[in-house]
Amino acid sequence: MARMKFLCDAERCIECNGCVTACKNENEVPWGVNRRRVVTLNDGVPGERSMSVACMHCSDAPCMAVCPVDCFYKTAEGVVLHDKDLCIGCGYCFYACPFGAPQFPQDGAFGLRGKMDKCTFCAGGPEANGSEAEFKKYGRNRLSEGKLPACAEMCSTKALLGGDGDVIADIYRTRVTRRGKGSEVWGWGTAYGRPDQQPQTPPQQQPQGGNKS
Amino acid sequence: MLLTKKFTTEMGKGASGSKRLSRHATGFLAATMDRRTFLKRSGVAAGAGAALSQLPFNMISEAKAADAKPAQGGEVVVRRTVCTHCSVGCAVDAVVENGVWVRQEPVFDSPLNLGAHCAKGASVREHGHGEHRLKYPMKLVNGKYQKISWDQAINEVGDKLLAIRKESSPEAVYWIGSSKHNNEQAYLLCKFARMFGSNNIDHQARICHSTTVAGVANTWGYGAMTNSYNDEANSKSLLFLGSNAAEAHPVSMLHTLHAKENGAKVIVVDPRFTRTAAKADMFFRIRSGTDIPFIYGMLYHIFNNGWEDKEFIQARVFGMDKVREEVMKWTPDVVENACGMPEADVLKVAETMAKNKPGFIIWAMGQTQHTIGNAVVRASCILQLALGNIGVSGGGTNIYRGHDNVQGATDVGPNPDSLPGYYGLAEGSWKHWAAVWGVDYEWLKGRYVSKEMMEKPGMTVSRWIDGVLEKNENIDQEPNLRAVVYWGHAPNSQTRGVEMVEAMKKLDLIVVVDPYPSATAAMAAMVRQDGVYLLPAATQFECEGSCTASNRSLQWREKVIEPLFESKTDHEIMYLFSKKFGFDKEMFKNIKVTNNVPSMEDSLREINRGTFTIGYSGQSPERLKLHMKNMHTFDVKTLRAKGGPCDGDYFGLPWPCWGTPELKHPGTPNLYDTSKEVKDGGLNFRAGFGIERDGVSLLAEDGSHSKNADLTTGYPEFDHVLLKKLGWWEELTDAEKAKAEGKNWKTDLSGGIIRVAIKHGCAPFGNGKARAVVWNFPDPVPLHREPIFSPRPDLVAKYPSHDDKKVFWRLPTLYKTLQQAADYSKDYPLIMTSGRLVEYEGGGEETRSNPWLAELQQEMFAEINPKDANDKGVRNGEYIWVETPTKARLKVRAQVTERVGAGTVFLPFHFSGWWMGKDLLDKYPEGAAPIVRGESVNTATTYGYDAVTMMQETKTTLCRFAKA
Amino acid sequence: MTVRRLLAIPLAVCLVALGVAGCGEKPQVVNYKQGKYQGKPDSLAWENERFKGDQTAWEMQMRQRNLAQNEYQRIN
Ligand code: SF4
Ligand code: SF4
Ligand code: SF4
Repeated sequence: MARMKFLCDAERCIECNGCVTACKNENEVPWGVNRRRVVTLNDGVPGERSMSVACMHCSDAPCMAVCPVDCFYKTAEGVVLHDKDLCIGCGYCFYACPFGAPQFPQDGAFGLRGKMDKCTFCAGGPEANGSEAEFKKYGRNRLSEGKLPACAEMCSTKALLGGDGDVIADIYRTRVTRRGKGSEVWGWGTAYGRPDQQPQTPPQQQPQGGNKS
Repeated sequence: MLLTKKFTTEMGKGASGSKRLSRHATGFLAATMDRRTFLKRSGVAAGAGAALSQLPFNMISEAKAADAKPAQGGEVVVRRTVCTHCSVGCAVDAVVENGVWVRQEPVFDSPLNLGAHCAKGASVREHGHGEHRLKYPMKLVNGKYQKISWDQAINEVGDKLLAIRKESSPEAVYWIGSSKHNNEQAYLLCKFARMFGSNNIDHQARICHSTTVAGVANTWGYGAMTNSYNDEANSKSLLFLGSNAAEAHPVSMLHTLHAKENGAKVIVVDPRFTRTAAKADMFFRIRSGTDIPFIYGMLYHIFNNGWEDKEFIQARVFGMDKVREEVMKWTPDVVENACGMPEADVLKVAETMAKNKPGFIIWAMGQTQHTIGNAVVRASCILQLALGNIGVSGGGTNIYRGHDNVQGATDVGPNPDSLPGYYGLAEGSWKHWAAVWGVDYEWLKGRYVSKEMMEKPGMTVSRWIDGVLEKNENIDQEPNLRAVVYWGHAPNSQTRGVEMVEAMKKLDLIVVVDPYPSATAAMAAMVRQDGVYLLPAATQFECEGSCTASNRSLQWREKVIEPLFESKTDHEIMYLFSKKFGFDKEMFKNIKVTNNVPSMEDSLREINRGTFTIGYSGQSPERLKLHMKNMHTFDVKTLRAKGGPCDGDYFGLPWPCWGTPELKHPGTPNLYDTSKEVKDGGLNFRAGFGIERDGVSLLAEDGSHSKNADLTTGYPEFDHVLLKKLGWWEELTDAEKAKAEGKNWKTDLSGGIIRVAIKHGCAPFGNGKARAVVWNFPDPVPLHREPIFSPRPDLVAKYPSHDDKKVFWRLPTLYKTLQQAADYSKDYPLIMTSGRLVEYEGGGEETRSNPWLAELQQEMFAEINPKDANDKGVRNGEYIWVETPTKARLKVRAQVTERVGAGTVFLPFHFSGWWMGKDLLDKYPEGAAPIVRGESVNTATTYGYDAVTMMQETKTTLCRFAKA
Repeated sequence: MTVRRLLAIPLAVCLVALGVAGCGEKPQVVNYKQGKYQGKPDSLAWENERFKGDQTAWEMQMRQRNLAQNEYQRIN
């Protein structure tokens, strides 16, 4: 049975926000709610790396555990979803999630928290597959259409991989093997030498994201 | 994001030591200061975007058409189109239900993008919605925009233009066309202006790659990207000099990073540590505007170490010895003093390029937008010629064009100095096109003031403001400009905003034709009470037609939806005006018009019939449509179809696609590649500059020719005389002979001369040498000259700008006198430069009106180095005033970052809607203001133009800043 | 393995950046208790017109589709 997973290849992600926009487009996510976002470390300096983050559909999901009304469930293929009709907007899941994935659209004039919204792995929610009700509450159900998440499918550099954990691990492994050849010699470290050089020359370091693995 | 805020404050107080909290994602969001998170994320939510986007999970399509229920059946069709936001040419499948664009799917089959999109491409469905567009024609009355009907608009605007034409001359109207038009519209607009009787027409290419087109074409024949993005997979080294592809051409990085993964060395040399640099193997910083010192610094090492390709140079290059003399002046210390790069670094780049062949040099605006742009790009070509990196798969000059169809609009569109296909404006060229159009040459001449004006290049879009403001006796045409028609072009992309507003004030009439005319509309309304008309044009998703990607491949877009609101397609608007002006019969003689809408297929066929120079002759609509349907049959690495209905073709028939469509030429994937036969996309350098110069032959040396050519020597371009001399004339059919007599390969409308030349394995344009010395340019050997506003007065003395020009593209143009009038760097010590953001395109009105994109980049900012910030007491996120020698001031947020070096200030160029600290919201037509507005960098940019093409200087000028 | 490593980066960074305030304090122990889903039932991804309940067909399609994310399939 396929286990759905995301993997973002930091060696490839160029922080273009294609994934973020694809998600907005496909699921009609309103302004201010971000099911997916791109995080950049060391912005503007050598070593800059970006990663696209959303709900990781954890195997042992903390959000599921803390929800006081137990509105979370996990699908057969490992996608963590929740029932918005049951959700009380308490925000516990947001605190529990290591990725800040759960989002709370402001509801009404007093900044009250609306029902939680998060990445569904483009798998809709507990309504009939492909129904209007499902779309309005949870967004598209691409999985039931035989498609994978919009964000991963449209990623500009194929940095963001989404799908069966085994398949994407294979894809990633191919790349890492290839990189092994050239980047051993031409990685940041060898190309730049001493760490005490000018600010414009990157310090000695190995790129994160598994250059050597 | 209320929660996030509270959360960070708590952590700031140290209230949280809990593992659970500190593990939280908001933690690392707050800890990194990237350019998105440092600005408050939902700041604009209360603005224009709110109404629509606050409805959670509301269907946009439903808001538009209440009866569309996408989830429950209805007529669903999928239309294949192409992203309109850059030249990569990413294909998009649009799902349309009951006429509403409801979904967008990736096209994995496309060999160009394999389904991938950046933020802009992933958001194009928003065009099917267009809440912030201009919805009906409007007119400025007493300082406010009022709705009018199309009839009234065409009649009033038409009458006014006709009156100006009569009172002054056709030259008093300036037409600004668009690189966002498809090929057919761009072509029609070129024809339209000529039939109006004027060469005063231009488009974005002027301010984007005009220096490339002129410089590169004069070096070896064609001024375009030599290979393709895809071909980078075959490369061993990639030098980005003046390109930030990760933001400007994001999906090209799919090919770049794939190449890198397979061992290609990626080098970025730039004033900024760009996101492209973040992905490179090596990054080196240079001072803005010193590309030539850097390139010559490399060549110095290349020549000294004997790394040049001597055989290649001997056989295929003219004048390299002259260049060598200049290069030898650029010793490592001189180079370092000019560009700031120490010898070891320059050597490292040179060695990497020399030892990892084939390789590319890649550039965009970083090289072109300088007063010496034409010389910079030629220096890049010379580098590749020296290395023998031209005419091979995996090596060349990959010149990344900007807009989705700027390549096509340059090739066949509205240029002031040429008819479609770079034919120029000489009498012979006019007669060629008169024949294609089926109109009388004398009639065309009669449309102009005189034959002289008919053959004199018009003004450029970079200088139209001087056509208005300059004293009449100084300009090289009868009247000053009295009207400007902005037809798909942003005003904030041209420099010298302060003077632009003065020019707008002085005009009799401003007409804007655009889906998003708002920047022009607001600027005009700021200084005028009347005399402005806004006409809503449809986007490329509301019509069909072809567009040319950066790699010269043509793609056919299907029409996705009908024009929204009251908007009309550009070609319909052209037709309506041509009727009003009384030349519709002539203009659309070969083109079917149905309900005022001219046929795009017929227009392309007319282009095919006339554009032999660059081989836009073989790409019939039928062939292009076949390619769009069979994308999956093309190999991604070579772009060639294996089997299937397009067997042997290169994707999109990259030009030159020689001869008639019946000849079935497959297109030319890599220019000047002699390892293939011309009929299979091979080529050699063009022989376009004569046979010999200073006693040296300009034709290629013996043995240097395209594969299997019957002529194994160099040879001039083909014409009827050469064919007869060679004894090949008899191979023409009788019908071809009749048309080819007295003609050359460019003007023979039968295509017979081309057919026979190719049959013999020869390139129709001859077999010549590339020119390292372009003797018809101001600096035949490219020379470094300091920008007019240079931060280095000591170097200005050594490398001064050009002499002033009295008449240049109809206008006087300043260089030296302005450069030496003062030491500007005393009061304005910092370099000001500008560039792209991934979320926005061009002037930005269109993309800043798209809520999905606007949310990601909500405020205009300036990147400043921590040193400069601390010197001025400015902190990250504070407002600052940036001021230039024009005295214009920009109020922007400071982003303090090491991305720029000390002494350099970077500003993105996509913003408009603020004017020196003031939001112009009330100047916009109601409901048509973009969601995000901000200061336009070009409000403050300074004077400075390339000495060949009038390219504006945007990349190097001076500024200072202070806390606001 | 690699997946975990990738995730570890941002986490490590924020630990360094924000964990200092908590030095010496005992980390709060959180006991997650898996609840039992109380919401509406959801149908399986392959229970629809297209797949007609055929899980294998759905899984095949997913695998196929997944390969589109691997450009090595087409560029080599
Ligand atoms: S999987 Fe779907 S819902 Fe989740 S981030 Fe990607 S596009 Fe958005
Ligand atoms: S689309 Fe891909 S490259 Fe772009 S930000 Fe998202 S993950 Fe990164
Ligand atoms: S803007 Fe360019 S790279 Fe981005 S999706 Fe459009 S064509 Fe592709």
